[in-house]
Amino acid sequence: MFFSEMTARDAFKLTKKKMTEYQTEFLERMNAIEVDAHWFRRVFHTFAASFLFYYLLPDEEWMNLGKILLPVIIVLCMVVVEYRRIRGDLDHQRFFGLRNYEKKRPASYLYFGVAVLLLFLLFPQQIAIPCILCASFTDPIIGESRYYLGKKRAYAIGFVISAFFFLMTWYRADWWVLILVSLLGATGAVIGEAKKLKFVDDDFMIQMVPAILLLLMWQGLLAMGSNMLPPPLLHPL
Amino acid sequence: MGNKNDTRKENIQKLLLRLELWFAPVLIIVPIGVSLFFLWDWYVRGFSTGSSVYDGELLIGLLLFIGNLMFDIFFLRSLRILKKKQ
Repeated sequence: MFFSEMTARDAFKLTKKKMTEYQTEFLERMNAIEVDAHWFRRVFHTFAASFLFYYLLPDEEWMNLGKILLPVIIVLCMVVVEYRRIRGDLDHQRFFGLRNYEKKRPASYLYFGVAVLLLFLLFPQQIAIPCILCASFTDPIIGESRYYLGKKRAYAIGFVISAFFFLMTWYRADWWVLILVSLLGATGAVIGEAKKLKFVDDDFMIQMVPAILLLLMWQGLLAMGSNMLPPPLLHPL
Repeated sequence: MGNKNDTRKENIQKLLLRLELWFAPVLIIVPIGVSLFFLWDWYVRGFSTGSSVYDGELLIGLLLFIGNLMFDIFFLRSLRILKKKQ
């Protein structure tokens, strides 16, 4: 009786030990993927800054048509893919780096794409360029800083970096415009990043909030007879 | 049943890793290439003609190059660690 009890206890201990080992190993593997997905997402953001190449495309009739059609087609393809993924036709796990909350709503890359499309088509490049730069660099920098330094400092760093992007793009503007645009744009970018909405991703907000604020300011000043826009930063080939 | 599920999960992980490794060169090379193009454009149209109109291309080129390089280093490091673990 005593012998059989010991055996059962040993078997139980052995099973428990094996299960713990397996769990630890599995978690380690999962963590490796998580860490990797984390940097994958960051690099995807910085990669998006390459879209600024759009402003180097030549100003010719056929090219101007392409400049409208191609981004629209790309975003439409993304919409179709996301629609199929949310419906369940495409396996969620085949999409690398997606977050859990993106299972039942469009993924952030679609929001990013839609915002870039709107900026390309509806906004002058003086407004669009710093907004795209904010989504490409400020967003991942805030994300990293938040992890190491806490929210407040991360947003302060994000504000300074966003202000730098607006200063850089508007450096040919009058000094008062430069200061106003940098402050307004950076505030918009940080609000867009900090304000978490259920159905709209921060990748969309970080681009659209400063863009709309600057558009309103530009149109407002234009109505008063003053054009604050500096010359374009990038020139078509 | 449990064993089958684990094998499936491991296969998905391998697939994800392959996908990422395939994507890595694109994510690294394209932005660096674009930034070098911006810098070349500034050199040809701006610097060699003595025009400051194209300084924007220089600024964006430098920003793209430095910004991407900084994140690429961490990304490549994470990939190397992951490869070792696998």
